[in-house]
Amino acid sequence: MSAREKILQRLSDRSRPPAVKPSLPDPLGRSDDLIPSFAEALKAAGGVSNLLNDPMELESALARSFPEATVVLDTRQAPTTGTEFDSRRSWDLVILEGKLGVAENGAVWVEWNEHYPRSVLTLAEHLALILPKEALVATMQEAYEVLDLSSVAYGLFLAGPSKTADIEQALVIGAHGAVTLKVFLV
Amino acid sequence: MVDHARNAAAFLQNPERARWHDRALWHVRQKRDLAVKAVPEWEALRRAAEEIKGHTLQHLGYYLERFEARAQDNSIEVFWAEDAKELQQIVGKLLQEHGASKVVKSKSMLTEECGLNPYLESLGIEVTDTDLGERIVQLAEDRPSHIVLPAIHLKKEQVAEIFARKLGTDPNESDPFRLTRAARKHLRQKFLEAEAAVTGVNFALAEEGGIVICTNEGNADLGAALPDLHIACMGLEKVIPSARELGLFTRVLARSATGQAITAYTSHFLRPKPGGRLCVVIVDNGRSHLLAGRQEKLLSCIRCGACMNTCPVYRRSGGHSYETVVPGPIGSALAAANDSDKYASLPFACTLCSSCDLVCPARIDLHRQLYQERERCIRVPKYRGKRRGLKAAALFLRYPGLRRTAMGILGSLMPKLPRSWIYYRFNLWGREHEMLRPARRSFSRLYKERKQ
Repeated sequence: MSAREKILQRLSDRSRPPAVKPSLPDPLGRSDDLIPSFAEALKAAGGVSNLLNDPMELESALARSFPEATVVLDTRQAPTTGTEFDSRRSWDLVILEGKLGVAENGAVWVEWNEHYPRSVLTLAEHLALILPKEALVATMQEAYEVLDLSSVAYGLFLAGPSKTADIEQALVIGAHGAVTLKVFLV
Repeated sequence: MVDHARNAAAFLQNPERARWHDRALWHVRQKRDLAVKAVPEWEALRRAAEEIKGHTLQHLGYYLERFEARAQDNSIEVFWAEDAKELQQIVGKLLQEHGASKVVKSKSMLTEECGLNPYLESLGIEVTDTDLGERIVQLAEDRPSHIVLPAIHLKKEQVAEIFARKLGTDPNESDPFRLTRAARKHLRQKFLEAEAAVTGVNFALAEEGGIVICTNEGNADLGAALPDLHIACMGLEKVIPSARELGLFTRVLARSATGQAITAYTSHFLRPKPGGRLCVVIVDNGRSHLLAGRQEKLLSCIRCGACMNTCPVYRRSGGHSYETVVPGPIGSALAAANDSDKYASLPFACTLCSSCDLVCPARIDLHRQLYQERERCIRVPKYRGKRRGLKAAALFLRYPGLRRTAMGILGSLMPKLPRSWIYYRFNLWGREHEMLRPARRSFSRLYKERKQ
């Protein structure tokens, strides 16, 4: 008998589909003002938010924020056909579109565009996430109510840059992935 | 048999280090408290987490099969392993077929439990742990002492010494920032060279057929992104019904673990990367046996480590004193449930203060579990003396008259006895404590006098 059969046989009295799923509690006490909560949570996660009143300002704000970045990948556009990406190269700056932001923790949902190697995400020194203001929700519970994962291959909530506190609990920003993460709310 | 008390005494040989350890973990507990206070519905979240885990375990067979079918729809390959040996063989075979001799690994307590690293190394495969804390421990040829903070038992000067020896850094450079940068550079090379990635799993989504991995460093994402083979290992209790429930667990996991609102990366691997393979290994290794009895609740654990940070015994004895992969309250309960002969001392490394119950995001009744394990653990041969002592104590408790007489004699005798007669070898209490001095007149005598 295979391991699968042996395990499932031991669980045979637990193989009925459930009649109902357990309910989730309603999130309480959220302010309607999601933008300041998001900005504060992102700051706590080591990230920076930049609220733009005019969407036209975006390109200049991006250029101003990362003046030193020369090797830049903007994933808002599909790569020109025939482009071969070296998945092992590093990037100064990678620009990504966020689909959803979560006010309670500053996380931004990114659905990976598989035209680009997945390694781009973590081999970027700096990350710029562009997020529509209307795409903010209060909590993770609401986020998953909105998200449709059926067509996603690789998706993630990013909350600030990569970090670690594994040496004496001292927080160090920039473990393996991005050293800075900036969210542009448009 | 593991002797927790002896190991703890060894840890306390360095009181300064022990105090630092105690305070560092208490600080994490305090950060957890702050994060939790920001969520007014926190207790409702814990109750829901408890309910969802219980529900999933009630239908575990269904959810595992559902996960397998949906994952296969997503071109994810699913494997099943009865025990540690089978996991080793499955992973070893996958890697060898792939021709991988260099593997990067992100944190997985399951693979630690199953001894995967030593096995793969015996096949000539180089395994690099990429979580910083785990890498430090690996370079030091040591073991993790905490499931979330693997190197919490080491001071930065020791890390500097390990890095100097293994990575050629300046031995006097013990600044955590510089050490982390050195590790980043060293590990970046390992990531670029890797031919396969092995990761753990935080949550497996039955309905969506994908896995979710939470890290702060981004090491699972970088590790899995480059090579064409990603093997994810999960205990069978990691499955949850769907992403809807993930909305709850992502709210409680990091807040309980480190006091963050969420980990920096909460990554959903729902399909293999283009041209790559994603293999998930579902491991039992003794878990399904726990379902039969009162220990079922132990499978609700989401491995946040909050029970360790709050535990007065863990903080003062260090993770290594348990000699288990998962230490602290949950580790003691699991170890005793699986092997009460070897780990009989662990349920007694507990004051029954129940602080762990109160911080557990899945509301596992840890102190009760530990208390119940004691009933079995006390039966090991080594505790014969203890059993006799308890039987004698029970005698005095059963007969109040006998107890009163004995106490009366002892009360008048004790102050007159020389110290060496009281603090002798078999007085275990007196080893660490000063004995209470009996009152000149007992409470019951005072009570009687007052009533007259």
